[in-house]
Amino acid sequence: MSENTYDAIVIGSGISGGWAAKELAEKGLKTIMLERGRNIEHIKDYVNATKDPWEFPHRGGRTQEMIKDYPVLKRDYPLNETNLDYWASDKDSPYTEVKRFDWFRGYHVGGRSLMWGRQSYRWADIDFEANLKDGIGTDWPIRYKDIAPWYSYVEKFAGISGNKDHLAILPDGDFMPPMEMNVVEKDLSKRLMEYYKNQRAMIIGRTANITVPHNNRTNCQYRNKCWLGCPFGAYFSTQSATLPAAMATGNLKVRPWSIVTRILYDKDTKKAKGVEVLDAETNKTYEYYAKIIFLNASALNSAWILMNSATDIWPGGLGSSSGELGHNVMDHHLGVGAGGTVEGYEDKYYFGRRANGIYIPRYRNLNGEKRDYIRGFGYQGSAGRENWSRDIAELNIGGAFKDALTEPGVWSMGMGGFGETLPYHENKITLDKTRKDKWGLNILSFDVEVKDNEKKMRIDMANDAKEMLEAAGVKNVHSFSTDGVLGRGIHEMGTARMGRDPKSSVLNEWNQVWDAKNVFVTDGAAMASSACQNPSLTYMALTARAAAHAVEELKKGNV
Amino acid sequence: MNRRTVLKNLALVIGGAVLLPSCVGKDGTSYVKLKHVNIDEDGQRLIADMAETIIPKTTTPGAKDLNLPAFVLLMIDDCYDNKRQEAFVAGMKAFTAKIKNEHGKEFGDLGTKTRETILMAIEKPPVTKTKPQKNIPPDPITNFYWGVKGQTVFGYTNSQYFMTKEIVYELVPGRYIVHYPVSKLKLKTA
Repeated sequence: MSENTYDAIVIGSGISGGWAAKELAEKGLKTIMLERGRNIEHIKDYVNATKDPWEFPHRGGRTQEMIKDYPVLKRDYPLNETNLDYWASDKDSPYTEVKRFDWFRGYHVGGRSLMWGRQSYRWADIDFEANLKDGIGTDWPIRYKDIAPWYSYVEKFAGISGNKDHLAILPDGDFMPPMEMNVVEKDLSKRLMEYYKNQRAMIIGRTANITVPHNNRTNCQYRNKCWLGCPFGAYFSTQSATLPAAMATGNLKVRPWSIVTRILYDKDTKKAKGVEVLDAETNKTYEYYAKIIFLNASALNSAWILMNSATDIWPGGLGSSSGELGHNVMDHHLGVGAGGTVEGYEDKYYFGRRANGIYIPRYRNLNGEKRDYIRGFGYQGSAGRENWSRDIAELNIGGAFKDALTEPGVWSMGMGGFGETLPYHENKITLDKTRKDKWGLNILSFDVEVKDNEKKMRIDMANDAKEMLEAAGVKNVHSFSTDGVLGRGIHEMGTARMGRDPKSSVLNEWNQVWDAKNVFVTDGAAMASSACQNPSLTYMALTARAAAHAVEELKKGNV
Repeated sequence: MNRRTVLKNLALVIGGAVLLPSCVGKDGTSYVKLKHVNIDEDGQRLIADMAETIIPKTTTPGAKDLNLPAFVLLMIDDCYDNKRQEAFVAGMKAFTAKIKNEHGKEFGDLGTKTRETILMAIEKPPVTKTKPQKNIPPDPITNFYWGVKGQTVFGYTNSQYFMTKEIVYELVPGRYIVHYPVSKLKLKTA
């Protein structure tokens, strides 16, 4: 038994799992990180990262064979030949959709920290206070002041580039130098802010790409191929940042191919004593034991592990006493925005491929404004020059056409909204006991949808985008709006929410499971609301904060 | 450099990484073995001649030099679904028949000017996008034409030749320059 005993177990190796492992190992805890999928070694295993576009047989496209093999992934951009190996197999790990939910997963060391969008925004007090003010869901047990020092802590280590924009809605962070807007973005931003009298802002995105060298990592090389894995370690990932720091302590062991099937609950101590692991390669079962457990398997799989940890005391799963486990599934609803062309600037171009865009922070339902929905949305987008295309007949084929292809086309500007989704109790995941995955484990069933508040918000998201682009001088503006299926934001949240009361929440203010205080859930599952900012930075901050608390409590003998 | 490396580099230089097995046809040129769609030697020759009309050899390499016809076939074979493949082949057959009927010859046997005129007529009304069209246009010949053109242009602008000899491309730019004049984008000056 002793060789399977550690001070701490971390389940999952993505953004929050990597942070948990780093923090716990640095504080001296012998820690094992259990990852359900294969190992991906930093740089060495980024097999496509240094390929030129013409080295991909279909130039980065998708084949019918891929579409057949990935019935879920095919629903959006992730399915392409450049990084297919980073996405979980839909066939090995199916799920049931009572209602459509697009679930894009990364089952390997590093998880989705390898493929994430890297946009990193702090939340503001208005976000933490929203549930209480609106009487929705459960009140966040923390406020901005509780998490602000932890935002600083994780920003300094992760390396977030951004501009200090002094916006109340979007607190500034401890930034590295910002990336720059291109000439068109700068002018559009200026015109937009003038038109709206500084009530709306267009800022450079704040991104977890380092702009100066940092902790043995090379600064961003403007390749814009982040999702292939960065050979320079220029964007934050488990592999580039938290894992090397954790390994350097000598306190961390990583075990790939380890599917945690359940947390072992000891009813005498009212704590978890360890986890059961199914080896994904051998199908053998093992047990690992520890004093504290960090559950960072990603929002929906963390809930799955808790639900799968049912006992006669907790028949609905560990943490189910409130009746909220697996409920309140949130994401950011998107697929709404606008685009158009920008006249002029024909002699202007840019060099390098910036792995970042512009951001328009939330402006709706602020300062006393009341729309017919609550909360708000932000936009992400960019301006760029398209490829050559002209309606000149003589230039459509032949030698002149061939020459013209070297010329850049018109400038265009596009942006899409990220809308806050409310926590609805009836938006839930449950165990589907009629179906099993490749390893014989019950799979998840999804019953999640956008409702009235989101649908009304989406009307504004489309109209506002058009209005703002036109106000900024963009021509031929067309807005677009899709069906708003959840999951596509790849920001799953809410299935084991934090709260002030064990009757209405799964976790307390320190991310501890009310029903087993030595189990900490610090991924998207913990979120009591979704705000509209990209959430990963908040997971990082919550994780570092919870890890510090866990070690203190361990020293005091409280867990 | 050993022979294998030389061959590999050569393959990359000529537009590259098209790894389709090929076989030698009746006129001595090689043809691509397709897995999912039936495009015979005549069809493949037509596609190659169309691609060469769209991206002709001038002072710089043309579609055939850059192996773009094989790329077009690969994309149709691997990336089109059955419905689109069928529509493509139907359009190809209709186009072949129309050319035979109107000119009494195969497309490739016509002069450059005639070939250009034929394709230009299909272009109208001008369509701004050079990328493959998502929705299949109703006219089979137009659909077939845009399939060939879209993939030819896509293959050309993503070819090693184009990206290393025509435009300024760097795998590792290392910097983001906001004020970069258009005049510096091309490697060759007109």
